[in-house]
Amino acid sequence: MEARTLFPALDREIYGKPLIYFDNAATAQRPFSVLELQQRLCVEANGNIHRAIHKLSADATDAYEAGREAVRRHINAPARENVIFTSGTTASINLVASCFCERYLAAGDRILISEAEHHSNLVSWQIACQRHGAALDVLPVDEAGEISPEELERRLKAAEGRIKLVALAHISNVLGIVNPVREVVETAHRYGVPVLLDGAQGIVHERVDVQALDCDFYAFSGHKVYAPTGIGVLYGKREWLEALPPYMGGGEMIETVTFEKTTYAPLPLKYEAGTQNYVAAACMAPALEVARQLAEDPALQAAQREMRDYLLEELTRIEGLRLFGTPRDPERKIPLFSFVVEGAFASDLAQILDKMGIAVRSGHMCAEPLLHRYGQTSLLRASLAPYNTLAECETFVSALRRAIKMLR
Amino acid sequence: MNTIQEIQASIVEEFSVFSDWMDKYEYLIELGKSMPLIDEKEKTEEHLIKGCQSRVWLACKPENGRLRFSADSDAIITKGIISLLLKVYDNQTPADILAANEDFIEAIGLKENLSPTRANGLVSMIATIKAYAAAHKGLSVPDGTERQKKDIEPEIVAALRNVYDPEIPVNVYDLGLIYEIQADADGVVFVKMTLTAPNCPIADEVVAQVHEAVADVPGVKEVQVDLVFEPEWTTDRMSEEAKLELGML
Repeated sequence: MEARTLFPALDREIYGKPLIYFDNAATAQRPFSVLELQQRLCVEANGNIHRAIHKLSADATDAYEAGREAVRRHINAPARENVIFTSGTTASINLVASCFCERYLAAGDRILISEAEHHSNLVSWQIACQRHGAALDVLPVDEAGEISPEELERRLKAAEGRIKLVALAHISNVLGIVNPVREVVETAHRYGVPVLLDGAQGIVHERVDVQALDCDFYAFSGHKVYAPTGIGVLYGKREWLEALPPYMGGGEMIETVTFEKTTYAPLPLKYEAGTQNYVAAACMAPALEVARQLAEDPALQAAQREMRDYLLEELTRIEGLRLFGTPRDPERKIPLFSFVVEGAFASDLAQILDKMGIAVRSGHMCAEPLLHRYGQTSLLRASLAPYNTLAECETFVSALRRAIKMLR
Repeated sequence: MNTIQEIQASIVEEFSVFSDWMDKYEYLIELGKSMPLIDEKEKTEEHLIKGCQSRVWLACKPENGRLRFSADSDAIITKGIISLLLKVYDNQTPADILAANEDFIEAIGLKENLSPTRANGLVSMIATIKAYAAAHKGLSVPDGTERQKKDIEPEIVAALRNVYDPEIPVNVYDLGLIYEIQADADGVVFVKMTLTAPNCPIADEVVAQVHEAVADVPGVKEVQVDLVFEPEWTTDRMSEEAKLELGML
């Protein structure tokens, strides 16, 4: 399978050089199938969903619900009621942080997160904790970037029921390590504690089966798996979604309304107040189809591992380069590399690489506490997708060496 | 002393010799490396401007009616651009700084570096330079023909720094209440000032204190204090120290 030909953006030239797009962990490029559906729906089926009798509305509603079914199938959720559309991972996490904490969090309670969380899986809980007089319990990562399930268990035990929820990244956006989420869920459940997984990166690199994982919530964004921006998913176990109070009030989420009392729509509409991003939601179907094809192509998977191993080896060879996220089991590392280089500041490197046509990320990666843990303020990150090639990796390494030389 | 426009023009000319981005960046890197821009002990939390990409430190002190800036960044290209900005703004009067713009950065093809999306701290740094200039707007510049003024103005400022609005723990000068100080060769001093609110109940008292403090400065023979409410005072006029003191930073 020739993955590159599916993505028109990859043909671009940047300052006269072929684009090397290594910022996939921030957002992925979109395939033709997504772009075409997006355009077709805007032209042929732009009618507000679930509301009107006319044909445009009916077609838009069908496309929207087909997007939901595609998501359900992709993550193996039991039913459409488990799949809530949101605007993205951040919105999904905030929904749970707000509604779960309103019902179940009291003064003195705690929410357990890890030290390696993205700000969206950190600040949302911090706000909820402040509101309810609760606190964060932060599970540390070791020097390699790994969490310890034993330490998790020790904390759950010591908390004596005061930890109400565990919120953890499936894969950290900085470290690129696949966390032992199955083990975490199993451990937390032994103490009766539900688990939310931040799947912003996990949905891209892992085969996600929410029933096998047995997590209580799984949050992810569309734009990292080849869909448009502005669409995201919250998977939730039905008993939780039924039990939690509504989030936003508005159209669509109601059953009957009087000034005295409103009854709410059944799932999933209970959490989909207001006009949804129905075009983007519909695009989840072709996007996840591409994701599935890329993930199931053995040659592409082998190439991904080859690129990862190549970069791991080549980057380690660069003098003064320090890599973050080096798991003991190298198979738990995705092709995502965050690092600093002695004598060459991350944003300077990113700026020079940009001029060479290479898109990488620099900065605190929305994970300031994790950077503090390693004594850093800014990292450089190269994150790959299945459409990247080994030749691009080679160009990247030599461009990086050249940029370092300029700066030192 | 070159004007801001002259310095900007010379930078544009300097850059016109570079044919590609590589030369430009190498030059910026050189500038960034070669200039000690700030005293290590000034690299404090107070002077830190946080960007997502890089950090920038900026310190400012008034000197003879002009503002002296020193700055640093952990990113070397950012530091190179800072040194260009400081070439332009360092040792200029608050009024000239407020009147100037940064179009020369675009002229030398580095505009993307001042884009807010870069989040490298430069945009905030320029805003902070302008805020310092606004806070020191009251400073007037000594020039050669008015020796007397040059000699006594720092003392007038020092005297004003001892005058307080009884409700605010920051002196009237650092609060930015003094809009203008003019001292002529005969020792006649004119002070234009405002108060934080037009209906301030102790207005007379504060004006009287300013009058008294300035009159006590050696060499001052006559003092005229003009109380105005146009332009209106805002917290933007406060010095950095004043903001810090009041917990606004």
